[in-house]
Amino acid sequence: MTDAAEEVAPSASSAAGPALLEVSGLHAGYGPIEVLHGLDFTVQAGEMVVILGANGAGKTTTMLSLSGVLARRGSLVFDGHDISRASPDAIVAHGIAQVPQGRGTFTDLTVEDNLLVGAYLRKDPLADDLDRWYTTFPRLAERRTQKAGSLSGGEQQMLAIARALMSRPRLLLCDEPSQGLAPIIVQEMFRILQRLNEEDGTAVLLVEQNANLAMDIANRAYVLETGSIVASGDAASLRDDDSVRKAYLGY
Amino acid sequence: MTRFLQYLFDGLSSGAIYALLALGLVIIFRGTSHLNFAQGELAMLSAFFAWWLNESGLPFWFTVLLSAVFGFAIATLVEHFIIRPIGRRSTFAVGVALIGLFLGINSLAPFAWKVTIPEQVPSLFPNAPDDFVRIGGATWRIVAIGNLVVTLAVAGLLFVLFQRTKLGLAMRAVASNPDNAPLTGIKVGRVLMVSWGLAAFVGAVGGGLVASQNGQVESTMMFTIFFSATAAAMLGGFDSLLGAVVAGLLLGVLENTVAGYQPELIGQELRGTVSLIVILVVLLVRPSGLFGSARVERV
Repeated sequence: MTDAAEEVAPSASSAAGPALLEVSGLHAGYGPIEVLHGLDFTVQAGEMVVILGANGAGKTTTMLSLSGVLARRGSLVFDGHDISRASPDAIVAHGIAQVPQGRGTFTDLTVEDNLLVGAYLRKDPLADDLDRWYTTFPRLAERRTQKAGSLSGGEQQMLAIARALMSRPRLLLCDEPSQGLAPIIVQEMFRILQRLNEEDGTAVLLVEQNANLAMDIANRAYVLETGSIVASGDAASLRDDDSVRKAYLGY
Repeated sequence: MTRFLQYLFDGLSSGAIYALLALGLVIIFRGTSHLNFAQGELAMLSAFFAWWLNESGLPFWFTVLLSAVFGFAIATLVEHFIIRPIGRRSTFAVGVALIGLFLGINSLAPFAWKVTIPEQVPSLFPNAPDDFVRIGGATWRIVAIGNLVVTLAVAGLLFVLFQRTKLGLAMRAVASNPDNAPLTGIKVGRVLMVSWGLAAFVGAVGGGLVASQNGQVESTMMFTIFFSATAAAMLGGFDSLLGAVVAGLLLGVLENTVAGYQPELIGQELRGTVSLIVILVVLLVRPSGLFGSARVERV
């Protein structure tokens, strides 16, 4: 299937040096059921990449297998390190953090404890990071001693993002961060992700159904269909591709 | 009033032991949602270990501490080699395995130490007939005070561990959301192993207190206590450490008071029935217990 992938435009990855994340032949699934049938994709340092796909295409499976919580086959190289067999904690230690689908918070823990859990593997002082995310998300600062479960959906999503960033990742994985949120919240959240990507150079791999918004902020995009990548290219050219537009952008 | 004070003092003493066992149940339940049927028997095994070392001349309080470390080690092995592999296949099977463990340890301990009759151990606290303080006409025995102090100290240490240390933060995170915990770098397997070890450690301290209070170890020493501890954990809400302590003490006082005021109707033989009634009432009226979180979540 991957051979048939439609290369809409030359992707940025072919030009630049070694990618930050290079995935080839990624297979993953649940027990005997294979969901991903050999994915190849890359994320460059400082890049914002989106994977588009409908329900059941394998987006969440991709994200979970990147974080090492699902059994997987294939080659995963991050920043020159082979992480194909790495455990979830080793992957976080290498610099990959994930905002999982749904509410990626620890609802019984306070907001501040959630952030501290995010920095679980760090041994250096955390005060600057706490300050920074409380400044970025003032609502979290107001609620730092409240349990995360009492926050609104949007606030919880912000907390999940801040929590992931507390590990100071070089690659942030976001699994459908817009799910179930009001459009205005989604816009604010995407603006924050974009700023983080531009100012800190944190690479972001985003998985989204909300294609319009995602394509606005992404450099490149991949289209995932039933476990295979069927199209890829820079966001602008994919936008103009008829089949992609009809299927994912709806016009 | 004197009469009630007497039941209160006696009840706090047995309640303290329920509380320790209930704390162990809650620690494991929070992490894995399993009711550890083997909790009481692990404590019994540890008590045998303490008796065995005590025979070789070491002071009993010291061997009880060593037996808690022994319990910790055994429970981590149980988690790693029995509970986790079975849990990957079926949660229900874990429950069955734990009942099997209960029966297995129960027959293993007397066999391993080749004893058939109860073996004597000394008391951990001064226990002469005049070792008591008199308050409001009632006698508060030093042994009873000792049980209570040990339990409150253990509960306090657990609170510090859970609220003030990184390990405690990881344990709370795993209890709250085991799926997300590995994404933050927490080694969930290791945290669960430590939780089981910690539960057995606390249980072993309880086993030591029971042995000290009875003056002997025997394989059936934890049967009714485990039952009451389960009722206490349930009354406390099963996911609350504070709940386990408060409910354990409350249940101890309740049992003593009811049995004391109704010697003909309840008496000493039917004391355990109080626990059963508490379990039924909690399940029917307030399934989340006194302190348990009803798991309200926005979705």
